[in-house]
Amino acid sequence: MLREFAIADTCFLIDWARFRRRDIIFKVFRTVFIPESVIREVVSENTISWISKWLAKRGLSLYTESADELEEARLLVVRTRRIPQIIPVDVPEALCLVVGRKYGYVVLTENRGAIMATEVIEELSNVKVWRSLELLVEAVKSGVLKVDCDNPEKVFREYMEDTLHIFPRNDYSKAVAEVVRICKKRR
Amino acid sequence: MQEEKIRKTIEKWVKLEKEAKELRRSMADWVFINSQPPRIREALKYYIETGDIRRSCTLAGKSIEEFRELLRKARIPVVV
Repeated sequence: MLREFAIADTCFLIDWARFRRRDIIFKVFRTVFIPESVIREVVSENTISWISKWLAKRGLSLYTESADELEEARLLVVRTRRIPQIIPVDVPEALCLVVGRKYGYVVLTENRGAIMATEVIEELSNVKVWRSLELLVEAVKSGVLKVDCDNPEKVFREYMEDTLHIFPRNDYSKAVAEVVRICKKRR
Repeated sequence: MQEEKIRKTIEKWVKLEKEAKELRRSMADWVFINSQPPRIREALKYYIETGDIRRSCTLAGKSIEEFRELLRKARIPVVV
């Protein structure tokens, strides 16, 4: 089933844009928003051309943050920096969390601080945060991404090869187990 | 209750970060890193130690995407 909306930060986009099956994201989400502050951080031809192509096709949409949202994001940044044990977030990721909470969008991020913030800060506990790992699993689950059931790790390996992004061992094992379970169910 | 939850979350992230740091250190191309100009070299080392891409970019004087490319050239994985 096609989900409605997500909002993506820079760390997510610059890796995802290198993935050979990057366009599957538009079969998982109707629209992926990109804040203007995130667009300004993108510099490579590969990422810019992918973004502009999908802005034109309306799979991606520019998100213009309001002054209030920006202020809320700034306060969140300060808050994460006041708790010494937690990984601080910066404005672009904080903004995605603020917008994700406000509208119920899935927040696409590879930023550890942003993920940790949803686990530690009570007001963010309902924000759904996905890394590429969760997006890949969701794409397999919904049938958007066809998997080779004889090689359930292949889809994740491809992503890791294209991006030099590695998933933590435990999370990776769980994701592969989920793909195996899906394969068994479909047989 | 909330404090206990925070403590457990922090413990989980400390473990994750330990695993990530070991991967970054062991996979890194140290010949490449040590051949870089001082600013870049130290930023790459800082990233290996902390995994903090934004502070590393600032140290390197690069954009986040340029720095991500440098990480690939240095064979330093992003572990998230």
